[in-house]
Amino acid sequence: MPRILTLLKTYPALVIVVALAIGFSVLSPHFASSGNIEAMLGANAVVMIAAVGMTVVFLAGGIDLSISTVISASAVISGLAMAATGSVALGAAVAVAVGLGFGALNGVLIGFFQLTPFITTMATQLIARGVAFVMSAGIAVKGTPFWMLDFGFVQWFGIPAVTVISLMIVGLAGVAMTQTTWGRQVMLVGSNVDAARFSGIHVPWVTFSVYLFSGALGGIAGFISIANLGNAIPGVGDTLLLIIIGAVVLGGTGMAGGEGSIGRTVLGVAILAILTNGLNLIGIPFYDQLIIQGVLIFIGTWMATRFGNRRDA
Amino acid sequence: MQPKRLQTIVSRQKWVAIAVATIVLAGVLSVVSPVFLTLSNFQAILVQSSVTAIMAVGMTFIILTAGIDISVGAILFVTSALFAQLMLVTGNYALAFSVTLISATVLGLLNGLLVVRFAVSPLITTLATYSIYRGAAIHLTGAQNIPVPREMGFLGNGRLWGIPVPILVLIVIVIIGVYILNHTRLGVYARAIGNSDRSARETSLPVARITVLVYALSGFMAGVAGLILLARVGGLQSGIGIGIEFTVIAAVILGGTKLTGGSGTIVGSVIGAVFLVLIDNGLNLLNASPYIYDMVRGAVLMAAVAIDRYSAFRQSVVLEARREARIVD
Repeated sequence: MPRILTLLKTYPALVIVVALAIGFSVLSPHFASSGNIEAMLGANAVVMIAAVGMTVVFLAGGIDLSISTVISASAVISGLAMAATGSVALGAAVAVAVGLGFGALNGVLIGFFQLTPFITTMATQLIARGVAFVMSAGIAVKGTPFWMLDFGFVQWFGIPAVTVISLMIVGLAGVAMTQTTWGRQVMLVGSNVDAARFSGIHVPWVTFSVYLFSGALGGIAGFISIANLGNAIPGVGDTLLLIIIGAVVLGGTGMAGGEGSIGRTVLGVAILAILTNGLNLIGIPFYDQLIIQGVLIFIGTWMATRFGNRRDA
Repeated sequence: MQPKRLQTIVSRQKWVAIAVATIVLAGVLSVVSPVFLTLSNFQAILVQSSVTAIMAVGMTFIILTAGIDISVGAILFVTSALFAQLMLVTGNYALAFSVTLISATVLGLLNGLLVVRFAVSPLITTLATYSIYRGAAIHLTGAQNIPVPREMGFLGNGRLWGIPVPILVLIVIVIIGVYILNHTRLGVYARAIGNSDRSARETSLPVARITVLVYALSGFMAGVAGLILLARVGGLQSGIGIGIEFTVIAAVILGGTKLTGGSGTIVGSVIGAVFLVLIDNGLNLLNASPYIYDMVRGAVLMAAVAIDRYSAFRQSVVLEARREARIVD
């Protein structure tokens, strides 16, 4: 019994995930089918990857409002590169490079020039959105290579390839955060900047690296969005910010820094994924979904801060 | 001696910086375009900025307490949806106006109560209510466009004593805002809470009540702004208010209000809103693609916080040097 209690304190969102999964399985016979679960996993790869980036930024005590439109900008520029050359590898490289570029911009300004994360990334959000729309002239980029179109439907080990990629990123980020010096440094910077400084951590570098990391993940997420949607869409990221931040805080990672984990975010993404999917299955219109989603984000975040452990055991 | 005094004025009164920037930009635009320096264009700019500026007045109070409200655009949307729907069904202006403004205030009040009562940050709380209010609005209208009666146009495009009505509303709102901020407990306490939440509590200021009132005030402003926007556009459209929260926050920050709370002015926020419209105006004169607007706004915002950071840094260096000089003496 105490072990379950510890588990729940570490992963407060687990209760909601289980409750939603059971509830929707009862309400809809299609919910627990393998086809539906596959669709759910595939559709949420983009949010999952971006949410991992946002989690690391939150853990360092910052926020990255630009990640949503960095997804758009990198998707568009990568889509243009692929349309021009037909090379998917180049497209992937370009997407990551664009993400790294925006991440570096955020990182330099916040880490080295100590600008406020909220305003700085709000500005980058606008800039990235502008880049996405200017480069694409506001319409979906045509000429996606066939390989890329197929890739959205490819399965590896019986699950969608895009999901495998997102899970690999989750795994790598989880290891990086818990098993490496860098991860510990990020946690310490997030929980106590002064302590981090006094223990010899170069805080600007760590902060820079965190935004670089989330920028790179925004780039990868943008690339994956092309595989999912078949085209690079300039507005793809516009509606994602609420879902990404919502998933991270629902999982139980706090905005104050140093509190939370990648594992928690996986659960947070799962909650919103199950919710959207399940409500669609039982025929709830999107606007009522917005209401339910908002209520759940608030209650879930409150529960996580109220009942969760302050730190992962 | 003279430039140094100027510098102190600029650094003490943060809004002076944005005012100077606005005048410079206006000067450049008047050289570029002969139409710019006309009374009608001047009025058009103020009318265009009125919606953002009115909301910025409310947001200034919230940011002064070190809070934030992401839901203002959704409050604007849901209350104008309510107004349009009520006008369609009842046609009663008095009813529609009062219900709209009261519900806007109540929705803001709800934000405040949630922020105060639960240990969830203002950002997450208002992000959640953003989703809820927006969903409620579309639920209410069934995602339909609803026209408003033609007389409503008076509020958006009409004139009173030769002055466009939105500008008059803005002036009234600014006067009320400045009065509340500088001459009532609400304003003074809000600033104190933002300066130090802890000292405010320790001196037993009614922190919870003030916080709730501040969010309610911002909700009310969003309701007023929604009515003007509705009147200007001529009806409810489903995209109304999307993303406006970031423009409003940008205006407040450009106006010199600190995101960490405690310091800022209403006049600054309003000039910030005008400045953002001037940029659009300038880009329009240059025949720039509308997609570039976002990029330029982002760059300007980034430059503004960088300059602010740089001047704060310089000031701290000067203070440090003075302190050292004193020690040597």
